[in-house]
This record gives sequence, structure tokens and C-alpha cells, in this order.
Amino acid sequence: MLRQYLVRRLTLLFFMVLLLSLFTFTLSYLFPGDVSTNLSGIDSAGFNANDQITEKYKLNENYLLQYFAFIQHIVNGDWGLSLASGQPVFEHVKTLFPATVELALYALLISILIGIPTGVIAAAYHKKWQDHVIYTVTLFAYSTPVFWLALILIMAFCLQLGLLPMSGRISLLFEVEHQTGFLLIDILLSNNTYKQAALIDAFHHLLLPSIVLATYPTAVLVRFTKDAMLDVLDKSYIKSARAKGLNHSQIIFHHALRNALLPVISQIGLQFSTLITLAMITEVIFSWPGIGAWLINSIYQRDFPAIMGGLLTVSLFVIIATMIADILNTILDPVSRNRSHGQV
Amino acid sequence: MHLLDIRNLTIELNTGDHVIRAVDKVNLSLKEGEVHALVGESGSGKSLIAKALMGVLNERWQVTADRIHWQGVDLMRLPPEKRRKLIGKEIAMIYQEPSSCLDPTAKIFEQIAESIPEQGLSGYFWQRKKQRKQRATALLHKVGIKRHTKVLDSYPHELSEGVCQKVMIAMAIARSPKLLIADEPTTALESTTRAQIFRLLKSLNQLKSMSILMISHELAELNDWTHGLHVLYCGQMVEAGPSKKVFGSPKHPYTQALIKSSPEHNVALEHKSELYALKGTIPTLQHLPIGCRLGPRCPQAQKDCVATPQANDFHGHTVACHFPLSQK
Ligand SMILES: Nc1ncnc2c1ncn2[C@@H]1O[C@H](COP(=O)(O)OP(=O)(O)OP(=O)(O)O)[C@@H](O)[C@H]1O
Ligand code: SF4
Ligand SMILES: [Mg+2]
Repeated sequence: MLRQYLVRRLTLLFFMVLLLSLFTFTLSYLFPGDVSTNLSGIDSAGFNANDQITEKYKLNENYLLQYFAFIQHIVNGDWGLSLASGQPVFEHVKTLFPATVELALYALLISILIGIPTGVIAAAYHKKWQDHVIYTVTLFAYSTPVFWLALILIMAFCLQLGLLPMSGRISLLFEVEHQTGFLLIDILLSNNTYKQAALIDAFHHLLLPSIVLATYPTAVLVRFTKDAMLDVLDKSYIKSARAKGLNHSQIIFHHALRNALLPVISQIGLQFSTLITLAMITEVIFSWPGIGAWLINSIYQRDFPAIMGGLLTVSLFVIIATMIADILNTILDPVSRNRSHGQV
Repeated sequence: MHLLDIRNLTIELNTGDHVIRAVDKVNLSLKEGEVHALVGESGSGKSLIAKALMGVLNERWQVTADRIHWQGVDLMRLPPEKRRKLIGKEIAMIYQEPSSCLDPTAKIFEQIAESIPEQGLSGYFWQRKKQRKQRATALLHKVGIKRHTKVLDSYPHELSEGVCQKVMIAMAIARSPKLLIADEPTTALESTTRAQIFRLLKSLNQLKSMSILMISHELAELNDWTHGLHVLYCGQMVEAGPSKKVFGSPKHPYTQALIKSSPEHNVALEHKSELYALKGTIPTLQHLPIGCRLGPRCPQAQKDCVATPQANDFHGHTVACHFPLSQK
């Protein structure tokens, strides 16, 4: 059963990636300018070079062969050159994308660590003052625009109090070798004398952006967890467990939580796309060297190969993350896990 | 003293624009060690009464009563937490929908283990776990499950409805409660295990003097081993009293019809002749007739029946009818 399910999911993944790649390929025709420039990133090429590009991307052949050539180069890691920097797009993506993922993951971690317990508390104290306080706070978190919140926090903590740095991932004083792209891990892997100081500095830089980014998903998770909990608490198996004489915390931890968290896990997966969108804005405001800020910059500069590369990466990431959350949910849920069990 | 004494229990459903009275002023009492049966057609409110007593109805239902005395303690006046503790310790219920009353994400062993009282166990917690396993296995054997290892290690959805019902019964008797409410405990079972469950309940009643409130719509099956019989129609108690009296000489037209329509009563019936049945069906809660709720279907109905009949007591045999049947 599980295998069948996995096969279905992977087929779906395949078709989504196929559509995504088709769309990206079509973009090179839809963007203004020369198709060869859009694909390769080499502008106003000489006569010779132009021939080479035409040959490379099979631009004289039919669309299908062009598409296959495009896919082949993408898979080989040849994503063309960025028009703005002249560097390979794939190299940009390799250094920038981990920064975004790092920020998004920490924000997600914060929102899970805060959101789910808060949601559980709100459900456990439904219609009591705790619930009302939580409701009010999440309402604010819901409706505050990210950029506004970011600016307010920057004004308070960076400009007024001077407690936290305003931009970047780490102070320029520290030099950290690029290994995994995840800064905290890279610092830990490096063997510099200032390891600890660098770590603290990186934390300081991370704090505001991840809080800003975590605000909205946290609010969503609080609400969702609360609704899921209330839904489960109304089920008859909870009622009958309660009538067996179990106390409130036994009910919540032994029965309600496990049942309520299943839909929450799939909800976390759905939050990824929102998270990445918000991460772009956050990156721009905090000058975070991530793929979002770079993508927005590329759009301003009409750097078409970079836009295509950035879109492809971000969409692929969202698709895969959503898929993983879905599979995880299935594995954790005993009801959907093995329906094939024989009946006794 | 009564073990349980319920007076004027009323259960109403708040639908927003109006209130539906599903159970109307029901009285019910039973003594320690007695087995009582609560019978009535489907939809007459039997499960509601049981659930209201257990306190498992959700907020949409409003439960009021003059008193619900449990061994002299009024449950209506007890704070919710205390009431739950008391009920959890002394009353257990076998629910009618076994699979929806089991947690879908917890294994059967976990759920049975929860019902086994702490006090009966000794030693450190790892020893306790083993004891729990033994107790759970023994309980499953009692209710007639032989493949205990497999069942204990399963999730509810992996088991058939019948096995779930047996698990439910095992959980209910785990605490050896003073009162067991059995809401149609044998509906999902085949007839051999049905007899086994009845034997089990009978022996629990006789050996441990556990009181039982059996909910059923089959009169004949209960007649020979219950002490008291309560007949419910449309949320009203129409007749109640000692089983022999109620079954032997029913005074209410509805009880009489119920007995007459049972297959056991009709064994001597000619081949392919019609079974006796009341005309019409049980009215829905939204369209209850005024006065006696049986009125439109009652063969004895007269003009006076538009007024709600009061319960009359004939030496512990109460009947709510203006024109009780006289003995032949
Ligand atoms: N959740 C609910 N919402 C609305 N009405 C309900 C609900 N549960 C029960 N009822 C109504 O309350 C009445 C009594 O229901 P109850 O379950 O007590 O019947 P019952 O006597 O147990 O019948 P059965 O023999 O089918 O179990 C029925 O008319 C039913 O329609
Ligand atoms: S009160 Fe009237 S309608 Fe109701 S059961 Fe008695 S005779 Fe029938
Ligand atoms: Mg019922």
C-alpha cells in the first residue's frame, strides 16, 4: 500500500517537474530579446560565438529537440551565465540558495516550536482568558505586513537600541569558508580561532530576519493547531476516554495531540510556498544574501537567465518540500499507512 | 438505598432557533446488584440517557434533572472534575459505536492498559507494564478474543466491528465498575459470541454483584435475567417496573405491542401470516404529537389522550397512560 502510494506521489512529482521545466523553457521565448541570449546569458555575441550557442541549444532544430537540449544542460549544471554579473547562474544559485533555505528553516523551526504548543494551549483553555489573549496576538500577527514589521523591528532594535545588526548574514570581520552553504554549519566546521565569536555574530544577524519571517507562519500554525485540537477533542473517542477517568493532560497528550498533529504536519508542508514568498521580502529588507533578494534584483535588471534559474530553483524546492510533508504525514498516520492489513 | 436514582431527566438539543426535547422527564432507579433493561424503538433516546449519565454529550445538548443520585451523592451538584472522577471509577459504559469510540492512532493495548486501574498493580513501572499486558490478555480472553497478541498490537481500523465491540467490553469491565451500562453490546456480534457475552455479563452480575443497565430493543432476550424493565417511547418512559410484571402483564398499549410483535411471541403463528405491528412509525423529534406521544399510533387512543398522561404507580409498576390495560 505504502509503495503504491509512493509510486503515485513520485509520478505526480515527475509531471509537476515536467510542467515546471516546460514552463521555464517557454520563458526563454516569452521574455523579450533574443532566445539565444536568454538561454545562454551571452549578450551581443560575435558571429562565431552565436553559431556555437545555436549549435549548443539546437536552436535550428524543432522545439522538442531544443527542449531536450535545454533539459540536458540544466541537469548537467550548465544554467547559462548571468547577464548582470557574467558569472554562471548555477554558481550563484549554489551560494545563494542555502542562505535562503537556512533562513526559512530557522523561521519554520521557530514557528513550529512556538505555534504548535501555543495552539494546544489555546485549545486546552478554549474560551478562557488564555485563549482570548492568544487569539488577539495571532490576529495581529496575521494582519501585520512583513515589511512593516521588519522596519519597525529594525527601528527599535537596530537604530534605537543598537542591539542587533541591521543587514547581512555575518559581520565582514569574520571570514568563513564556504562548505555547505549553511552558515552556522560552516562556522562549526571551520577551524578558526574566532569560531565562537563568529557563531554569536551569525546568531545576531539571524535573529531579526527569522523572527520577522516566522511571524505569519506561527500565526497560521497556532490557528490551525487549535482548530485541529478542538475538532479532535469533540470526537467520541476523546469523550469516552474522559469517561474512563483519564485526566485532562492524559487526554491531551495520549489521545488528542497525536490525532490533531496529523493534519498540522500537512499544513506545515503547505506553508512552504508562503514562507518562500515572505522570505524574498525579508531578504530584500535585511540585505540577506539569499536567492529571493537576488531573484528580485534580477527581475529589476532584466537578467533573464538568472530569473529562469531562480524560478526553477525556488519552485522545485517548494514542490519537493510539499511532497515530503505529504509523504511524512502518510507514514505517520496509522489509518492511511496500512489499509492492507487483514481483519481479525 | 438505590445505587442510581434519576428523577425527571430531561435532555434537550439546542438547534439555534428552537429547542428540541429528545428525552422528557424520565425516571429511572436501580439497586445494587440488579440488572435493568432499557428498551425502546430506534431513536427513542436510549443512548442519550446513557450518555447524559456518563457525561459524554457535547455542549449542544442540555441536560437537566431534579436529581441524579449515585449512592446518595447528587451528580448534578458535583463539580465537573469530581463528577468525572467518580464516574470514571464506578461506572463504565459499552458504547454503541465501538470503532468511533476507540482512538484511531493508539494501539489496542495502550487503550486497554489505560482502563486497568493503577491500584491493582504492584512493583516498579517496568514490572507494571508486564502486569498490564497480562491483565489485558486475560480481559481479551474473557470477552472471547483468542488471538490476543495480534489484537493487542493492532490499531482499531485494522479490526472488524465485532472485535472492536469486544475490546470495548473488555475495557469496560477492566475497572470492575459498580454499574455497567451496556448500550446494545452485542449488535455487531455473531450469535455464539453473543451468548458468550451474555454469560459473561450474567456471571459478573452474580459473582461480583455488578449492576447492569442493558440497553436493547429486544425484549425477549432480556426478560429472564433482568430485575427491572423500562420501556421508552419517543423520549418518554411509558412503562417501568419489575420485569416479570411488565413482561407478564403489560399495562401500556405500547409495551403490549412491543411484546406482541416480538418473534418469540409469535412462534405459534401460521406460516406467512402477518406479524403484529403498530401502524405508522416513530415520529421525528421535530414533529412530536402533543399529549401522549403514542397517540396517533395507539389502538386505545381516546379524546383524553391529547393531554400528557401522568405516570401512575401500581405497586412499583408505573404506567404513563390514561387508559391502562386491565389484567385479563
Ligand atoms: N448528534 C445528534 N444530533 C441530532 N440528533 C441526534 C443526535 N444524536 C441523537 N439524536 C437524536 O436523538 C434521538 C435519540 O437518539 P438515541 O441515539 O438516543 O436513540 P437510541 O434509542 O439509542 O436508538 P438506537 O436504538 O438506534 O441506538 C434520535 O431521534 C436521534 O435522531
Ligand atoms: S394515553 Fe392514550 S394514546 Fe397514550 S398510550 Fe394511553 S391510551 Fe394510548
Ligand atoms: Mg442507541
